[in-house]
Amino acid sequence: MTGMDGLALATRGLRKSYGSQVALAGLDLSVPKGTVYGFLGPNGAGKTTTMRLLTGLIHPDSGSIELLGRPFGRRDRHRLFGVGALIESPAFYPFLSGRQNLRELAATGAPTAPGRIEELLDLTGLRDRAGDKVSTYSLGMKQRLGIAAALLSDPALLLLDEPANGLDPAGMVAMRETLRHLAANGKTVFVSSHLLGEMQQMADIVGIIAAGRLVREGPIQQLLNSEGTVRVRVAPDEVARATATLRTLGGQEGVMSTVAEPDWISVRVTSDRVGEVNRTLAEAGIWATGLESGNDLEMLFLGLTGGEPVQGGEGTFFGMAGAGPGRGPAGTGSGA
Amino acid sequence: MRLFLSGLRKLVRRQATWVTFGLLAGLLVLIVVAVGATANRPGASSAERAATLSLVTFPGAYDVILSFILGLGGLFAVIYGAAVAGSEWTFGTLKNAVARGESRSRYTLLSFASIAVVIAVGLVAAFAIGLVAALVGATLAGVSTSGLTDAATLSRLPQQFARGWLAIIEEGALGFAIATLARSQLAGIGAGIGLYFGETFAGIFLPDIVKYLPFNVATASVATGTATGGGFGGGARIASVDANTAIVLVGLWLIGALVVAALFTERAEISG
Repeated sequence: MTGMDGLALATRGLRKSYGSQVALAGLDLSVPKGTVYGFLGPNGAGKTTTMRLLTGLIHPDSGSIELLGRPFGRRDRHRLFGVGALIESPAFYPFLSGRQNLRELAATGAPTAPGRIEELLDLTGLRDRAGDKVSTYSLGMKQRLGIAAALLSDPALLLLDEPANGLDPAGMVAMRETLRHLAANGKTVFVSSHLLGEMQQMADIVGIIAAGRLVREGPIQQLLNSEGTVRVRVAPDEVARATATLRTLGGQEGVMSTVAEPDWISVRVTSDRVGEVNRTLAEAGIWATGLESGNDLEMLFLGLTGGEPVQGGEGTFFGMAGAGPGRGPAGTGSGA
Repeated sequence: MRLFLSGLRKLVRRQATWVTFGLLAGLLVLIVVAVGATANRPGASSAERAATLSLVTFPGAYDVILSFILGLGGLFAVIYGAAVAGSEWTFGTLKNAVARGESRSRYTLLSFASIAVVIAVGLVAAFAIGLVAALVGATLAGVSTSGLTDAATLSRLPQQFARGWLAIIEEGALGFAIATLARSQLAGIGAGIGLYFGETFAGIFLPDIVKYLPFNVATASVATGTATGGGFGGGARIASVDANTAIVLVGLWLIGALVVAALFTERAEISG
């Protein structure tokens, strides 16, 4: 790979299949050093497969990975000495205490500095329960211990898969602050999450993956500014005409309504064009009863991933008529 | 070294270690003391009495104790090896080590090395406990313990221990390899037990082949011509190879099992 200066992590053309199931279909990621990178995608999009590839748990069918500026292949396990990871659910020996688990984990891989374990127990708020067996821990405590384990060797690159799982609100705030603090000190944090609001507050850069491919990557504010959405509410009997009218602004694919809110129409235009949307409707003799300029990450995410969840995935409710709040596009598409 | 010591610490804190040892030592004590306590019961013929008393009469009692430990210990070693190896996959802790850049095969082999050390300690401890129990049994039966210091038997013990240890760790390695291939603690234990008894049953039909199989060679390797070997499970009820050939085969099975476990771990795609 070339032109990777300044990147803590890069992948090019990464492909991985499980039998006939394609998990990654040529993934290109570029994660600059010293940033918090939010890795987003619906269930089954390939996030966890990517995490496993980046930590050498599985191997790619083709493509390349570069970790901390150097190629990472099957025989390059030492590259992982500079990487800390929490992949899927945290895994520990249930018969050992939190402290003992960290101690035994520290016996693997890169050496751990003396006192580091106590420091991390303090950081993750586990000191009071550090002597208790992990089998007595709540999910949130295991998650904190998993984050402590990922930080054991003071890694330059941190890979976290859904780190907020099971954390209470205070824990989430603390985690966010910790990760921001790490990035401010030159560490790179690559974090996958379904919590889009959390990502919006925490990430500098996001990469959105769908069906094994990166569909958008860039600084979060830049993406939001360039790919906002305007939502407009019209009388129910005007929806079809309004939709046709607004296609002159948003194009054929950029105008849609949802089953849950059939009188709301989403137009994929930048949020500063809200007045233009209103004027277009007025010129057609349609009066908007509500207007929203949406430029949050959720709308961007749903727009880019098509809001089409994998069967059985957590986003399945989007496709169920009459269920859920449903900001995402549903079966009716733009033909409302 | 830190990985090996870590493996030892984990095994010492693991409940399975103490349960396995407790079961082995407990059964040994129970049987030997019960034999001593009931040897002189009314109604027993003199032949029955002599046979019973031989179990707690030294120096023969040394062989009885060792035979029990090596026989039942073999089955326990299969289960224990499978439990330890399988838990790395079941708990997901292998994933943590690999993601930290640890060598997969080094991790696997050093995990087994710590098992081998724990088995050695367990073997000596169980023997010591059995010895005390046999002394209690002999006292209860009113048998002299003068044979306790029999020089010929004592001089043979170190070699028997070494062979016994190798045989037991070979059986432990089989359980370890099976659970690694199964990537599961429960499946590994189940398959290990199945193989252990399956080999014994297969010996009825295919004795010329089965005598070279791992549990039979383990038993044959500790056979001394006295009571030692095969008394409490695991082959040797069929024609077996001689002890010296058996010890070579034990070594080959041990190495083979570890190579399979290490290679499989090295190449495995780790998920979950």
